[in-house]
Amino acid sequence: MGRLVLRRLGATVPVLLLVTVGVFLLLHLTPGDPIDVMMAESVDATVKETLRRELGLDRPLHVQYAAWMGRLLRGDLGRSIRNGEPVIESVSRRLRPSLELALCAMAISLVIAFPLGIVSAIRRNTTIDRAGATFALFGICMPNFLLALLLIFLFGVTLRWLPISGYTDPLEEPWNGLRSLALPAVTLGLALAAVVTRTLRSSLLEALAEDYVRTARAKGLSEWRVIWSHVLKNALIPVVTVLGLQLGTLIGGAVITEYVFALPGVGRLVVDAVFARDYPLVQGVVLLIAIGFILSNLIVDVLYGWIDPRIRSR
Amino acid sequence: MAGSIPGSDLAERTAGLSAPASEPVRAKRWRRLRRLARARLAPFGAAVMLLAVLAALAAPLLAPYDPLAQNLGNALARPGRVHLLGTDNVGRDVLSRVIWGTRVSLVAGLVSVALAVVAGSLLGILAGYCGGRVDGLVMRLMDAVLSFPPLVLALALGAVLGAGLSGVLVALGVVYTPTFARLMRGQVLSVTARDYVDAARALGASGWRVAWRHVVPNAMNPIIVQASLSVAFAILAEASLSFLGLGIQPPQASWGSMINAGRGYLQQAPWIVFGPGAALFVTVVGLNFVGDAVRDALDPRMRG
Repeated sequence: MGRLVLRRLGATVPVLLLVTVGVFLLLHLTPGDPIDVMMAESVDATVKETLRRELGLDRPLHVQYAAWMGRLLRGDLGRSIRNGEPVIESVSRRLRPSLELALCAMAISLVIAFPLGIVSAIRRNTTIDRAGATFALFGICMPNFLLALLLIFLFGVTLRWLPISGYTDPLEEPWNGLRSLALPAVTLGLALAAVVTRTLRSSLLEALAEDYVRTARAKGLSEWRVIWSHVLKNALIPVVTVLGLQLGTLIGGAVITEYVFALPGVGRLVVDAVFARDYPLVQGVVLLIAIGFILSNLIVDVLYGWIDPRIRSR
Repeated sequence: MAGSIPGSDLAERTAGLSAPASEPVRAKRWRRLRRLARARLAPFGAAVMLLAVLAALAAPLLAPYDPLAQNLGNALARPGRVHLLGTDNVGRDVLSRVIWGTRVSLVAGLVSVALAVVAGSLLGILAGYCGGRVDGLVMRLMDAVLSFPPLVLALALGAVLGAGLSGVLVALGVVYTPTFARLMRGQVLSVTARDYVDAARALGASGWRVAWRHVVPNAMNPIIVQASLSVAFAILAEASLSFLGLGIQPPQASWGSMINAGRGYLQQAPWIVFGPGAALFVTVVGLNFVGDAVRDALDPRMRG
């Protein structure tokens, strides 16, 4: 198990290095002078020169990269050119709403997907199964932002049950906090639930066809017992993989969800930075998101090895 | 991996020796494509796709009004006989804008996936064919691209490339490239291990001739399958980006930006959101069915 972790970590290092190069070059992809793009034409030339020197844009590319990497390794991700706040502080301030959103969405998706996936697999080709398949298709094809607006229209505007934007911290005011997270979490959770339902159903069907299931049934175990103690654990492996693969989509979905519901999370920060043309902030946040994404994938890989011992020896 | 089981690729071996390998492959592909028609949901998907293509091509003829013509006196008009889908906050006809928006969506879906197919296939062939250090470098590069959540990468690239359709096309092309590079590399590795490739080499065919005449045609099926599934998601991604404000700029109509513009009027005029929203949803569902049908037809593993 330790070797698996080490091997995966080793494979991650070169990728991480390339990611930093990519994020660094982001600023230099702008057609024209990045300083002119970031600042209005009316801004004084000396201010522009100061910013140019501060960002080191007057030096050769490799020197710039070395200096940038040096600062990165010391934990300095740069600062916003709009308000001067260090990137790391902006992100850490906005991490909590994003994590709360992700956790709620994850919980909602599992609560929907597990019963639906299991029932669809056991009652294959019945009305329930078809309803589950329709739901999955709906969830996969429905754009996040459209679902968000439909929910706002239904629960916010028409029924007026839930707030349609803004954020209250559930750790401080549990009831209002959960209410403020309800619609965003459902928006994000339904899409995830669709994918998990589909995967769980097909992996359960595969596991149900195995010989050990026949043995378990021949022993006289009840169908639920067969599912619970024999099939489910084996069927979970593809689900974990899919959850890992869906992480990227989940983060993208969170960006849009936070934008629609005006949640002050990391996703909203990216969008705001992009439209403020605050490139140092964009670089810093995108790099942090990528690192978080890589680490989560690493955890999923290790988890995978933990669930399925066969993976470890490969 | 048919090549690893002795005898299992006998038919292909003889085909590879007697005639150019691409001929039987192409014939087989057409026969499989005919199975498309029999797939259950494919007719619906095909109809949606045809309708969308028609709307995109004939937008000037089909749209009842000028999609950009404002009429402040008739803003937020309900759907009715004059304006089938109502009007938006500056009195533009929603239906006409939805029809014109089809162009943007289809162009975005097709062009970005085409870019990714070309770039990814070339990189995949390069990696699979050269092997060694080139392979390592190309594939680590692809891993690096995959280390970004797709939407975040597209957003960042779109931001530096500048708002506009071309920026979004390139950004989405980059996002989808690694998928095709990985697929192509895997295909190249498995195809070059086959005997008919050895045979072609033994007959003195040059490296590029072998790649072009034997490897690529035999490796194309999974690429076609993946491409047809990707178009729907590229359309969704373009809509998401233009919803956020990247992509084609106002007053030009695109479904995503129309939905964003209408979200402030959900209470008074929900049709501004629901018109383009329905178009987007139906198109994506339809293209998904087409993609599934193509996969069922071309990928023998998924059949059954």
